Amino acid sequence: MSQLQGSSSLKRKRQDLALVSGSMTDGERVLYNLIHSKKDMGIWTGDMKRQTNLPDSIVKKSLKLLQSKNLIKEVVNIQNKGRKHYMAAEFEPSKEITGGDWYTQGSLDTDFINLVKEVCLKCIFRQKVATRDGVLEWSRKSGVFTVEVTTQQIDEILRALVLDDEIEEVKSTGLGDFSSVPVGRICYRCKSKGGNRGEHKPGAMASIPCGVCPRINFCTPDGIISPRTCVYYQKWLDF
Amino acid sequence: MVTQHGIKLAVHLITNHFGNLVGVILSLSRLSDLFCSGIDIEILCVQKVCENLFSHGSLTLDQLIRFTELTKDQVKNSLLVLVQHNCCQAFVSAPEDDDDDADRLRVRTQYLVLFDNIIHRLRFPKFLETVTRTLDEECVELLDGLLRDGRLTLKQMVDRASQGKGKCFMMPVIENAVETKVVREILCKLLTARLVERCPAPEPVVSTSFKETTTRKRGAKSAKIFEAPETLEQRVLEAAVPGDAIRYSFTADMGSNADRETNSDDEQMISVEENTAKEEEILWRANFEEFVRHLRHKALIENIRTQHDDGTATVLSAVLEATKTVEKKVKLENSVPLSLDTITAEVMKTDTGRTMTMDRIRASLSQLGCSQRMIVDDAYSIDLKKIIERARNEEVESIVLKRYGRDAYRMFRLLSKDIGFHDTDQIAASTLVEKKEAPKLLYKLWKDNYLYMEKVVATGVKQITILMWKVNKPLLLEHVLDEMYHAALNLSLRMAFEQEKDEELLNVPKDKLKEPGPLQKKYKRLLNVWLLLGSSLMKLDEALMLFHDF
Repeated sequence: MSQLQGSSSLKRKRQDLALVSGSMTDGERVLYNLIHSKKDMGIWTGDMKRQTNLPDSIVKKSLKLLQSKNLIKEVVNIQNKGRKHYMAAEFEPSKEITGGDWYTQGSLDTDFINLVKEVCLKCIFRQKVATRDGVLEWSRKSGVFTVEVTTQQIDEILRALVLDDEIEEVKSTGLGDFSSVPVGRICYRCKSKGGNRGEHKPGAMASIPCGVCPRINFCTPDGIISPRTCVYYQKWLDF
Repeated sequence: MVTQHGIKLAVHLITNHFGNLVGVILSLSRLSDLFCSGIDIEILCVQKVCENLFSHGSLTLDQLIRFTELTKDQVKNSLLVLVQHNCCQAFVSAPEDDDDDADRLRVRTQYLVLFDNIIHRLRFPKFLETVTRTLDEECVELLDGLLRDGRLTLKQMVDRASQGKGKCFMMPVIENAVETKVVREILCKLLTARLVERCPAPEPVVSTSFKETTTRKRGAKSAKIFEAPETLEQRVLEAAVPGDAIRYSFTADMGSNADRETNSDDEQMISVEENTAKEEEILWRANFEEFVRHLRHKALIENIRTQHDDGTATVLSAVLEATKTVEKKVKLENSVPLSLDTITAEVMKTDTGRTMTMDRIRASLSQLGCSQRMIVDDAYSIDLKKIIERARNEEVESIVLKRYGRDAYRMFRLLSKDIGFHDTDQIAASTLVEKKEAPKLLYKLWKDNYLYMEKVVATGVKQITILMWKVNKPLLLEHVLDEMYHAALNLSLRMAFEQEKDEELLNVPKDKLKEPGPLQKKYKRLLNVWLLLGSSLMKLDEALMLFHDF
């Protein structure tokens, strides 16, 4: 939930490089320059050792010192969470490192995603038909989010909602519900008419045990797993 | 498309209907009581013959005797049962050019099992319901007879009707004998509705040496959903079916039975009596094709009703009703083009459509996918295939949702909407699924045949293997259909099992079952179980039709 608390300030601290390097040992300087050159991508400790040819102990000690001076920071790399990754303090980790807008501390912020989804759905449900910009404006006005939500983020959420079969993408005809939207503009509307979220009528297969059975491939009329001995049937037919 | 479990289900149905006759499947019990006498001995034989025909394709009598290791009479009788119930079609393979004299003299009658017709046995209650909805009670009775007995002549139908009456009123049969004229009228009604047809030619001559790829394109049969090559079964069926004029005509003078050539001069001088006698000999059967068309229309309309609204459903129903006699095949992709005026007139004929204005009809047509631009010569044609495909997708998606959860559901929908390949990371990003979770879910879907995957090796600084995923619709549909046949078989087997388990209940007098106690509790449970299993099987059968017949 950290994004909700407004932690994503994108301002970068300007530091005088010459002033910084004055108080460093050689080892520290070499390391710092390497880390700084990687900008918002950061670098793994293993790569540092390989590229600087410094002994293990010096690398460890220098990293600790640089960190205590607030010159570098440790970041989580989504590609490889086990590896220690460092970055100069003035940079914000890039999307390749964090995994994108929806990731905090290297894991998917599902609570935040669900919250944005909820807000978008509510907005579309109330307005019957809404464009992406309409949803964005509505959410900004309502003040639900303490952090800035971008157009791209709303787009991604809307796309996910379409895949969830909660809303559908339609082109405005300019008539009826669409009267507030210019003709031809892409907009979204809720799938369920009564507003009962996510309640789909299950299909014929999905409503019987065999339709969702994980062992269906092992099931034969006279086998160990058979309709006669099936535990799922037993549960289903327990009146 | 006949799948492995489809065959198992068909064999099971045959064994069940022509086998142990206590009425294993409650919902189908009306079919089974017919065979109580005489045919019991043949139980195993019919099953064996049927199984062999499935595994070997078409076979001659001699081959069947060899494979089944039964006596000639047993095999013959089994075949007769199968033919009587339209589950088997005989044909004579035409002599080929390179045959020598001995080959030409050889009997070439082969037997082919008709998979679709066997599975149709599952849906006889639905067929009867169709008649109940569109025609009167007498028609239902007549059709019921045809479904029970497979094929009947007019005389047999009259006998059946008379017997029924006799039983009902506990009076001597002769006094209540139903007149031929009455039965004839009822049969005519069914013929006009095309729900009954003449039986196909008993042994059409078909050339068996054909290359599947070079067969001429025949609009009706070759353009199946998956563009399956024309099969022997299709060729045989096509050769056996008489032309439309004869198929639904009552008069005998157009040819004796089916399409046998009768061009001799004597033929024209048949007296009225002879004609009537001939008429009585014609064999009739239920026209499954027409019933499937009815059910397809019903499914299309219901799908549109849930997707859009009643008005749109009314428009579609009016269009389908107006064009049903011109439809050339069941799996019609686009509805027969109609002008807006005709559609309006048709809609206004219906009860629900009387209130609809021209504008509303036009809006409904546009919801059905007929946009102004696509309309040529003011003729509207609705894309029916799209509606069916949508319904199929919904069915598959609902399985994915229930079996693999919402994240997998989103990923599956992403892939199923797109034709191309997507890599794992791209899928995870588009569906907002944790990057670590995505490969696991995709792998599960792939392992169960719901997804298709290809490995791509990218060589750069390091060699990386990228997994590319996609939904392969034809393969997927076949797989899901097979699973459905499997599920239907399981439901059917479980019904038999439940029946067997509580067999003693059937021997308990009814009064005892009404008294409260453990027996009553058990009986109530059995009824509930039957109801649930039976209704699930009927619902599943609708899905089977959606994937196989529509």
